[in-house]
Amino acid sequence: MYNSYIPMLTAIKGIVSENKVNDIKTFELSFKNEIDYDNFDYVPGQFAEISVIGKGECPIGIASAPTEKGSIKFTIKKMGTVTTGFHNCEEGDIIGVRGPFGNGWPIEKMKGKNIVIIGGGFAFSTLRSLIIYMLDKENRADYKKITVIYGNRDSGEVLYKRDLENWKTRKDIDIFLTIDRKEEGWMEKVGFVAPIVKEIAPSSDNAIAVVCGPPIMIKTSIQVLEELKFKDEQILNSLEMRMKCGIGKCGRCNIGNKYICVDGPVFSLEELKKLPNEY
Amino acid sequence: MKRTSDIEIENQTIEKSIKEMAKNLFRNKEVDIILGYSAGTIPMASPPIIIRNESDVEKLVWNNFCSINLAKNLLELMPKSFDDKKNNLKIGIVAKGCVGRALIHLAIENQIELKNIKILGIDCNGIINRKKIEKEIGDREIIEVSLSNENILIKGKGFEQTFSYDEYLNELCKKCKVKSPPTSPELNGICSGKCEEVLSIEDDFKDISDYELKSYEERWEHIKNLLNNCIRCYACREACPMCYCHLCFVDQNKPLWFGKTTELSEIILFHLIRAMHLAGRCVACGACTSVCPMGIDLNLITRKLEQIVKERFNFTSGLNIVDLPPMVTQKMSDKEDFMIDEK
Amino acid sequence: MNEKILNKSQISKLFETLNKDYNFFAPSKEKGNIIFKKINDSKEIELDYLNSKIPPKEVVFPRIDIIFEYKINGKDIEIVNSKNLEVKNIIFGIRPCDAYSFYLFENFFQFGKFKDELYLKKRRGSLLIGIGCNNPRNTCFCTSVNGHPFKKEHLDILLVDLGEKYLVEPITEKGKDLILNLEWLSDATKNDIKKAKDLSKKAELTISTKMDFKDTFKNLDSNFNSLLWKEISESCLGCGTCAYLCPTCTCFDVIDENDHYNNRGRRIRIWDTCQFCLYTLETSGHNPRDAKIQRCRNRIMHKFCYYPKNYNLIGCVGCGRCIQFCPVNNDLRLIIEKVNKIKKEKEKEEMILSV
Repeated sequence: MYNSYIPMLTAIKGIVSENKVNDIKTFELSFKNEIDYDNFDYVPGQFAEISVIGKGECPIGIASAPTEKGSIKFTIKKMGTVTTGFHNCEEGDIIGVRGPFGNGWPIEKMKGKNIVIIGGGFAFSTLRSLIIYMLDKENRADYKKITVIYGNRDSGEVLYKRDLENWKTRKDIDIFLTIDRKEEGWMEKVGFVAPIVKEIAPSSDNAIAVVCGPPIMIKTSIQVLEELKFKDEQILNSLEMRMKCGIGKCGRCNIGNKYICVDGPVFSLEELKKLPNEY
Repeated sequence: MKRTSDIEIENQTIEKSIKEMAKNLFRNKEVDIILGYSAGTIPMASPPIIIRNESDVEKLVWNNFCSINLAKNLLELMPKSFDDKKNNLKIGIVAKGCVGRALIHLAIENQIELKNIKILGIDCNGIINRKKIEKEIGDREIIEVSLSNENILIKGKGFEQTFSYDEYLNELCKKCKVKSPPTSPELNGICSGKCEEVLSIEDDFKDISDYELKSYEERWEHIKNLLNNCIRCYACREACPMCYCHLCFVDQNKPLWFGKTTELSEIILFHLIRAMHLAGRCVACGACTSVCPMGIDLNLITRKLEQIVKERFNFTSGLNIVDLPPMVTQKMSDKEDFMIDEK
Repeated sequence: MNEKILNKSQISKLFETLNKDYNFFAPSKEKGNIIFKKINDSKEIELDYLNSKIPPKEVVFPRIDIIFEYKINGKDIEIVNSKNLEVKNIIFGIRPCDAYSFYLFENFFQFGKFKDELYLKKRRGSLLIGIGCNNPRNTCFCTSVNGHPFKKEHLDILLVDLGEKYLVEPITEKGKDLILNLEWLSDATKNDIKKAKDLSKKAELTISTKMDFKDTFKNLDSNFNSLLWKEISESCLGCGTCAYLCPTCTCFDVIDENDHYNNRGRRIRIWDTCQFCLYTLETSGHNPRDAKIQRCRNRIMHKFCYYPKNYNLIGCVGCGRCIQFCPVNNDLRLIIEKVNKIKKEKEKEEMILSV
């Protein structure tokens, strides 16, 4: 990219509300210029800096998989100035996109392995990208057993309900959903994510665990994984920090000598243990 | 004001009394730590220091470059003194007049508990306006600074210059009427200076008379010129004991009051709104001006604030723990001529 | 021999000549402070200085830099690319330490997959005419970080102050071309060149601050949680002075400014510093560097541990501004001394993070 600071223009193609309280929405964006879309070569786990021009920019993980052609999707929770700006947008509004940035999930290294995906809350967005990519008929054979454990506070917070329904009907992926407390009509598991992982006890043999969620869930899940004999290099995390430029220049997303926007956001536990505990 | 004694001798006397007071406090186990000033590594600097035992008392100094207001450093230590699990930290603080005033005012605003604080009160003999001297010297290196009689002797690489102490004092120090901490039953400690009760102070504000004579347009030009090279490092805010908000108005973004750039309009907004927030609270210590890396003389704004508050509310901050500052209370005698025609 | 002589009385002629094709930046005195600014009249040039207060990084990395501007037409948004990227600058009177900082900047801004075109274009369009330091300050320590008061590397032309005149030495091709176009410069004599060499030696011997960085990287890397940081950050105000006046600090913030009434706006970047408490604050409220100790530590770690880890160079040029201007005299030399003396801390050392 000649100037990585200039955003590409996209228009909002569709908006889907993902949760009951309506503060998480998935935005589908289509590029105004075909060339921009062709050049937007991304892998699951990467993020883009998307802007409501005039309000600001924020880094959001790409929720769509590169195998889903034609548009890109972002799942955004209404939290601050920019994200509120997003939620006030309508179909057809112009959104700026810079990216793809970050290192993404190491899909080459993950080939030939059993994949255990542990997600919590709305951090599931790049995990969706990973799952759809792996389930694509071109790629499925490259990966062995796929286990997904996805926890939420309550049933209203579960994202991508349609995708989950689809996946549950498939034989080549195991989906386990859980919510914190019992609810009427909820037929799946109940409990925090870490004890559910313990219950399901995925084997650490030739496996890679991908953990993405709120800090407390990550901490407890990693403890369980370590009990299940997962080694540090087998556990992957996607970190989040405040970012501005997305290309490793503004300086604020550094952990030690690494920049999350360039060297991450995906880090293995082995790499994280070498970095200072400031994230 | 005619000097009656050699400044350097005064400084040595004050320094000796600080060390004695400090030793006594440690020996009688009346303090756990003492906040004071130490010798700097470059000329004209006396950084704050926290000493934790009697053997470190020798590190305490006093000179006319002790410009930092230690009440701010005290404020940062405050949570430690409330920990029920540990013994309450007893803190000693070397207090010139404005530091004492700051402590009293912070106590009124419920930011500190005076009962765990012991002041080491001294009669401050003034802080030298370092930036004014540096401006006179130009961009040449100063190697040594010494004081004798009424003069400040500056020795540099290939030059020597003498400055009159009385002329190169901080503008605020020239007008200072509270050189030692005002006594107050709540303010514990020892004092080697006057430390008397101060009911109110008289001030003719002659130093800002030039500014007073300007028209509004001229004043606006003056303010613009004064502030235009601010780099928004916020050293002034960080050094000020009264600026303790967890989230400063300039850092808010919901709503975003104004931007963070160094455009003149935003610089002026920052300084003038901060001045408004300090009305009736500023203790005229001059720390803001002494820390400004660009040499901006915020003293004018400070003095003007003092004058307006004195005129409208007959109030001077930090003299006693009883009188509430004018911005947090209302008296029937408050003038309302800005909205009601009282003529 | 291609060294020339520029008499101090010819400075205005130099300015008049170069000002036609270049933006001429030189040290100037403004309200008592020496800063690098765009000169409009040769009288503004101030040559009696040791070094500027605000480093010349300001010329190529301005305090307010426009990334792009945009116009709003109904629902449509048009982005106007920043026009001022192509520049022709001359930075006259830059000191070798600051010129080295440009190199460190460039290292950083062109590293990796994405380059920072905003900076790189301005840098490549800038020609550096440096003046060697005859009188380094007591706070200077360029010789401890690969530098020298007369270091030629990273400059296009080096001037040496011989008293009434400067020795002019072109260093790069760009420098040589510029000198060729100034045919009115007289040739330097062997005496002039010898005098310059003597001044260089004398300047090197004048440097009194010698810092030993042999163990610094190792100590910093393995003592992240040391209690020493509590002592170091005790008097720190947490202001932005050291970062804003540091020639190697590069951090910035990106802001969208909207002009509702005129249906337009711009995205700008402004200087920012890791010393501010909001620097790493996330929208969720979580702040990885919540305490002043962490922020104070981060700056030292960044210059003397992280930057060396990534580029094998210390991220400091030894200009001494942080030592000279720190409002509370939190002296870097003492900090490095303390770091160098750290004994291996016990593994379970708990650092008190809360204030």
